[in-house]
Amino acid sequence: MSRKLLINILSIVVLVAIIITLPIALKSVYWASVLIILGINILLVSSLRTIKLLGHISLGHVGFSLIGAYGSALLVMKLGLSFWIALFLGGLMAAVIALALAYPFLKVKGIYFVLLTLLTAETFRLTAWYWRSLTGGFWGLLQIPSPNPITIPGIGIITFDTVNSYYYLTVVIVALSLFVLYRLERSHLGFKWRVIQDTEVLAQSVGINVMWYKTLNFAIASFFAGIAGALFAHYQHGLSPDFTARFGVLMSIYLLVYMVVGGEAKFAGPIIGTAVLTIVSELARGLGEYQPMMIGAIAIFTVLLMPEGLIGLPNRVKLWYRKLLKQTRGMRGSA
Amino acid sequence: MPLLEIRNLGKRFGGLAAVSELDLDVGRGEIFGLIGPNGAGKTTVLNMVGGTLLPTRGKIIFRDEDITKFPPYRRARRGIARVFQRDVLFRSLTVLENVLAGFHLSSRTGFTEIFFKRPSTRSQERVLHEKAMEILQFVRLAQQADEMAINLPHGNQRALCLAIALATQAQLFLLDEPLTGMSGEEIEAMMSMIRTLRDERGITSVVVEHNIRAVIGLCDRVAVLDYGRKIAEGSPKEVVGNPTVIEAYLGVEENAI
Amino acid sequence: MDLPAQVWVQAIANGLALGWLYVLMALGLTLILSIMGILQLAHGEVYMIGAYVAYYCCVSFGVNLYAAMFLSMAIMAVFGVLMEKFLFRPVRAQILPPIVISVGLTLILMSSAVVGFGLYERSIPRLVHGSFVFLGSAVPKDRIIAVGFAIALLLLLYLFLKKSKYGQAMVASAQNREGALLRGISPNRMSAMAMAIGCALAAAGGTLAGSILMLTPFMGTFPLLKGLVIIVLGGMGSLLGAAIGGIFLGLIDGVVPVAFGPEVTSLAPLIIVIFILLVRPQGLFGHE
Repeated sequence: MSRKLLINILSIVVLVAIIITLPIALKSVYWASVLIILGINILLVSSLRTIKLLGHISLGHVGFSLIGAYGSALLVMKLGLSFWIALFLGGLMAAVIALALAYPFLKVKGIYFVLLTLLTAETFRLTAWYWRSLTGGFWGLLQIPSPNPITIPGIGIITFDTVNSYYYLTVVIVALSLFVLYRLERSHLGFKWRVIQDTEVLAQSVGINVMWYKTLNFAIASFFAGIAGALFAHYQHGLSPDFTARFGVLMSIYLLVYMVVGGEAKFAGPIIGTAVLTIVSELARGLGEYQPMMIGAIAIFTVLLMPEGLIGLPNRVKLWYRKLLKQTRGMRGSA
Repeated sequence: MPLLEIRNLGKRFGGLAAVSELDLDVGRGEIFGLIGPNGAGKTTVLNMVGGTLLPTRGKIIFRDEDITKFPPYRRARRGIARVFQRDVLFRSLTVLENVLAGFHLSSRTGFTEIFFKRPSTRSQERVLHEKAMEILQFVRLAQQADEMAINLPHGNQRALCLAIALATQAQLFLLDEPLTGMSGEEIEAMMSMIRTLRDERGITSVVVEHNIRAVIGLCDRVAVLDYGRKIAEGSPKEVVGNPTVIEAYLGVEENAI
Repeated sequence: MDLPAQVWVQAIANGLALGWLYVLMALGLTLILSIMGILQLAHGEVYMIGAYVAYYCCVSFGVNLYAAMFLSMAIMAVFGVLMEKFLFRPVRAQILPPIVISVGLTLILMSSAVVGFGLYERSIPRLVHGSFVFLGSAVPKDRIIAVGFAIALLLLLYLFLKKSKYGQAMVASAQNREGALLRGISPNRMSAMAMAIGCALAAAGGTLAGSILMLTPFMGTFPLLKGLVIIVLGGMGSLLGAAIGGIFLGLIDGVVPVAFGPEVTSLAPLIIVIFILLVRPQGLFGHE
């Protein structure tokens, strides 16, 4: 086994060990909830990046998250479905709506796409706000139940009423989702997306039905946004379309910032960006109202001075170090 | 039965008629030249045959099928390949990946292959890889297979464009100024490649060109456009000696014969 | 729908007043978008800060409201120029960085307002008191004054763009960036002017809104969204489109809730936008 492979496997094992023991080590309900939200956000930002693979920037990802959240919650509460089915259906509903909107959305140029997605998410939110009979309006949708317990023969019943148990649930679902997204990106489907993003007109000319592949991309990304939303709904046990909450413009902005600060060139970028910025926000909790300011400043700083994001940092350091070496060598050598 | 039939083709942009009442037939295995002074509408015709522009009037029939309203990707599926005027390549991909992109139509991969690579997928990948290298060898870019496409010099980029078209296994190539900006040597190489494609694989080509000497040497038949209309058609020698054609070109020194 | 005429008149008056404020936002947005190619998502915050600046001039320094508005416009124009030079110019040609910058600015400006001004709602003293009776209902005079100001600013802008050398240059720049370069017009200067004018208009809108409605640090988001819908409706790069689109949208916002209820009002903009983008992507009056 090559050295590199060994290091990779070891780091994965260590990472998994950390993730599994984290809530026990932290012994705090508060931090466990932070981690749950972090997991949900990671899924959101990673699926946001999927859309970016096509070169499109969406500021409306939270809108599909909202559909998954309300969809799943309502399916459980009004139709009595099991959480495990509702979760999947919530994602599916988001994907179907994305499919329906895909045609007009993906036809338009860059900036207009940003605009459309922003307005769409806002419209979904306002619809939830006004459609009181369905969503409880501004009073919110309350008392969303926890996921149904699952029975594993031989081991017993696993319930999901505690924060810790929900943490592990989130880890499993998010990890599975990330695995799917990762494999998709590296598959022939991902290659088609790269090709389309590069030069769309040439992609058409080699027989690629660009609209179909873009639509698929948008639907898949929205599916996972829906799943993230459903996870949120059954954790929080309540949903509110208040504009300062999860489904507003502010959240869309944060998701974009997490992605950019982490760096969109690699799959791990948004994950790192979300994790780092969430931790920074938590540590700065005492500063309350200054938090958005800090995040905004970090965003601007990153884009102006460190555009590849955090994952580009090792490279930067390497190049800077090499330049430094060259300079010192040059000074010692002849003029 | 001609491979490509163009009937009464017309395109208006607002008040301007870029192309009017064009009738053309291109036979199988022909190298058909389309020439004319600047702004004559040659690229517009190619755009309409390739599908990136919809005609305002007329029909385009390819292999007995009316493809006039087809989007570009459907025409590619029917067997039409378009090589664009400027070096339109997949810039962030390597030379090899560019050709592999062209194999889209030949690679049928299913949904499960995304997660688990079956042995059949692996062998298909290997086959495509070999085929891609074959094509690269033909256009003499095999050495640069792993280079980024944008790093290639102009002439090589042109060759890569041809390679991508080859990968689509098209029967009709639409070549928009394939010789522009190339050295004499590169021009000879490109012309010989186009000829070989016809001789060895039966590929039909419609070539838009400004280099009249090359057109005479390369094309079996030529049509001349001026202000969007066909003013002459026939063998290169006939067309070039045609006084109407000479008059159309008068005043444009570079393109005078 | 058997509402008395007074309600309709009120609704229309409200709608028109709102519409004109939206127009001021949209004009700035469309100017910035077509000349700089940037979607200034922080424009709502410029509007908001412009309102607070006027508030402080008025309340803390006892300046006349009208003077305060002009002062606010001037200050925000300078602010806009600074933003252009240090934040937007370095990333001019790209797509993602300007969005991130405008988004980051939104966060910074909004939270600065919360920190600096607090969450309490305030209001700028009314432009003028009282109302007059029109068609049997009371129309507050201040709405009329606000609309008057907005129209005056629009006319000023129109004159500037038509008659002045710089104005004509801006129009040329908006329609064809390369063409402007050929004529020796500096893109930097054009961008700075676009920002200055856009921010001044937003500040005016914010001030007027602050005297009709309430001042809060969050007052900018809603008009921004309206402004965005308007530039899609009216067309990118078209000032006439922005004006007409704004009135249209204002009327919808004033009349539709009364006629159909608020639920339809929230869905209407998006449906209109999608429809427009499908049928006529360049907007009603747009160029490309």
